[in-house]
Amino acid sequence: MRGLLVVAALAATPALAQDRVVVAGSALCEVVAALGQVDRVVGRDTTCMYPEVFAGLPDVGYLRALSPEGLLSLDPDLILADVDAGPPATMDLVAASAVPVVRIAADFTEAGVIARIEGVAEALGVDPSPLVGSVTEGFATLAEARAAADHPRVLFILSAAGGRVMAAGQGTAAQGILTLAGAQNVLDGFEGYRPLTDEAIAAAAPDAILMMDRSGDHALDDAAILAHPALGLTPAAQNGRIVRMDGALLLGFGPRTPEAALALIRALEG
Amino acid sequence: MVALTPPASSGDRAPRAQKVTLALVALLLAAGVASLAVGAAGVSPWAVLGDWLAGEAIGLRERVILLDIRLPRLVTGALVGASLAVAGAVMQGLFRNPLADPGIVGVSAGASLGAVLVIVLGGLLPAGLVALAGSHLVPIGAFLGGWASTLLLYRISTRAGRTSVATMLLAGIAMAALAGAGMGVLIFLADDAQLRDLTFWNMGSLAGSSWTRLAAAAPVMILGLLAVPFMARALNALSLGEATAMHLGIRVERAKRLAILAVAAMTGAAVAVSGGIGFVGIVVPHLLRLAMGPDHRFLLPAAGLLGAALLIGADMVARTIAAPAELPIGIVTALAGGPFFLWILLRKRGLVDL
Amino acid sequence: MLDAETLSVTLGRKPILKGIDLEAKAGTLTCIVGPNGSGKTTLLRALTGEVASSGRLRLDGQDLRSLKPEALALRRAVLPQSVPLAFPFTVLEIVRLGLTGVPGADARSLPAQALHRVGLGGYEGRLFQELSGGEQQRVHLARVLLQVWQPVVHGIPRWLFLDEPVAALDIGHQLQVMRIARDFAEAGGGVIAVMHDLNLTAMVADQVWLMTAGRIAARGTPAEVFTDATLAAAYGCAIRVSTPPSDGTPFILPQAAA
Repeated sequence: MRGLLVVAALAATPALAQDRVVVAGSALCEVVAALGQVDRVVGRDTTCMYPEVFAGLPDVGYLRALSPEGLLSLDPDLILADVDAGPPATMDLVAASAVPVVRIAADFTEAGVIARIEGVAEALGVDPSPLVGSVTEGFATLAEARAAADHPRVLFILSAAGGRVMAAGQGTAAQGILTLAGAQNVLDGFEGYRPLTDEAIAAAAPDAILMMDRSGDHALDDAAILAHPALGLTPAAQNGRIVRMDGALLLGFGPRTPEAALALIRALEG
Repeated sequence: MVALTPPASSGDRAPRAQKVTLALVALLLAAGVASLAVGAAGVSPWAVLGDWLAGEAIGLRERVILLDIRLPRLVTGALVGASLAVAGAVMQGLFRNPLADPGIVGVSAGASLGAVLVIVLGGLLPAGLVALAGSHLVPIGAFLGGWASTLLLYRISTRAGRTSVATMLLAGIAMAALAGAGMGVLIFLADDAQLRDLTFWNMGSLAGSSWTRLAAAAPVMILGLLAVPFMARALNALSLGEATAMHLGIRVERAKRLAILAVAAMTGAAVAVSGGIGFVGIVVPHLLRLAMGPDHRFLLPAAGLLGAALLIGADMVARTIAAPAELPIGIVTALAGGPFFLWILLRKRGLVDL
Repeated sequence: MLDAETLSVTLGRKPILKGIDLEAKAGTLTCIVGPNGSGKTTLLRALTGEVASSGRLRLDGQDLRSLKPEALALRRAVLPQSVPLAFPFTVLEIVRLGLTGVPGADARSLPAQALHRVGLGGYEGRLFQELSGGEQQRVHLARVLLQVWQPVVHGIPRWLFLDEPVAALDIGHQLQVMRIARDFAEAGGGVIAVMHDLNLTAMVADQVWLMTAGRIAARGTPAEVFTDATLAAAYGCAIRVSTPPSDGTPFILPQAAA
């Protein structure tokens, strides 16, 4: 299928087929891969970790701290960058060198995922419709599952380093995936990720707790949650409704998002 | 008789200082050339120069990399390094303390607060202003923050035309704590992306260097650097205390004012274009005092040269060691400067009076 | 001539000098003596322009307060009681700071001469901070001497202000330093020195100002001021002038060495 797509792309825009693309932004990387265009990528930023094939490509640094000469050293003929990529001065300089820079902005919704795919496909000169089709199909399946779901109230914990809980508020990717999964974010008083007081956690009383699957200082196993003075008292902890999922899958908002939301629904049903 | 005594015991370190200065000029030139020649993109200035001399057209990519990326970055690095090192030397002379640094006049804390303020609350500014300032908004915020805090500190420590250096030191500590608290509030308000920006800003980088940014910051730094040679005699006399300096014919209050303003200008502009770059201001003057003595007539220009060369070198490391990504330059200077600073403290531990 | 009328200094709210009238002629050596806290050092600081004062204050007919620091530095040099030093300067570098009014031609040889004068010939390359307290004080004296190397320039006398110049010195160097001050006065310059040692004062002073509580309580030649009654009143203890100890304890007078 990948070979087929490349052929289609070359056929569509034979003169513009850039084959030295630098991608900055994890969701964009996923889209590029899903479009079967990894072969055209010569560099990626630190946040591009999925699929694993990107790990072998040169790393141009963190999404928001890119270096102009670093980008240009890869001799790119297209830079595909998330709207968050920066710093602005770097992006200005790169644009001045006549390397086309395509910035892609999209939100954490179904429409946002589709827009991201279409934007990347347009920039790469490939046909988005097969991927859009399969992703739309995924979203349709998801919508059915969502209708049948029981809309639990969920607390998303970004990290719990040192027992201090950082949780997701409004306008976050976590909020977006919860909405897609038909779940409700228990926290609606603030934007972004904030540290929560124990009392706020107790007052929120989530039915379920969602976390990213990781180890180290941010990790919180079930025993630690039960032992936590506030988290331990929540219905989620009492009933053992604690879900851990891969962070890139959960918060990526790429082609795998319907799959991720579906998996989340299943996991929340326990 | 003077000629017969060996130079080591003649007490006259001027000839040595002149030799060191000449060596530093050579070092700076070498660093500059190396910096132009080295980079992730592997563009050779010699090849480009050869093409140009041969009348061939230079590719846009080569031109951008050499003239719009490496060259402004080299000039920015040189000016920032010189400014930080000279500002450090001036502060140490003014506070009569070899461990003083430009942070004492509140510039660093104020600049950080200004930068953080813009990063976190920049979205609340009128859209027209944001569009006008573009990517220079954070540097502008840093510069204004640095200046505002210095002027405030200066006012606090000045009574009836006399500036108390001791009050300034204490008030500076209080101001830094206040700015830290302000930053804490802003960090609490910041979202994830802004937090990452803050972290990277604090580690310093020359990656944002461009001719437009340089055009705004360079005149301020150059003005500060040009004012400094006139302070050398005053700083030498101030080594013996303010009263003795006055007896030696120094207009002490004017010298202090000039020094504080020059330091605020140099540091404010340097921090604005480069973020938080530590240790240059302490390490460079100290190293030079060991090499050529504390005479500010030689120390100040030499500090400028060595600071420039060091920062150019550090930037070369920062942008090549992890290429095509780059390390924040503050990490490089702190990695090199931190151990050196500890060494200074260890050496000084036995000395009661310094 | 240095002269002042109703010279007053207030530090904070506390009056330190309370309306002093004084006069000192070039070519003479004036010593300021008095008990601790009587205002000796403050008077010296007022006369050098280091602390703000009120009342008339003139140096050779010119309002001293109207003179800029750089102009004042050409007319007088000041040796404070203690001088902090921040950085590792060599002795030569310290002494050369006194080269404010010396023409370039003399600038090379004069520092060495000044050091010889204070008995520190050959000390140029030593680090100041490694010297003893007495040596450090003499290095500063050399610097101060260098600043007013010629006691009279174009007919205008220059002045030396010394705050306890012999405090850290052994008796030999005390005599040497007072001899330097004496020579400066005899060559036409003016010298004002705050002194604790009454014997040395009696030996070298042309004029003595005895201070108590912010005023000059007695003035005149040492013979006029140093009387049993005057000294006893000023210092608050029974003092007898020119009287050997009754029990035969040895006593050492600098005069005997001179």
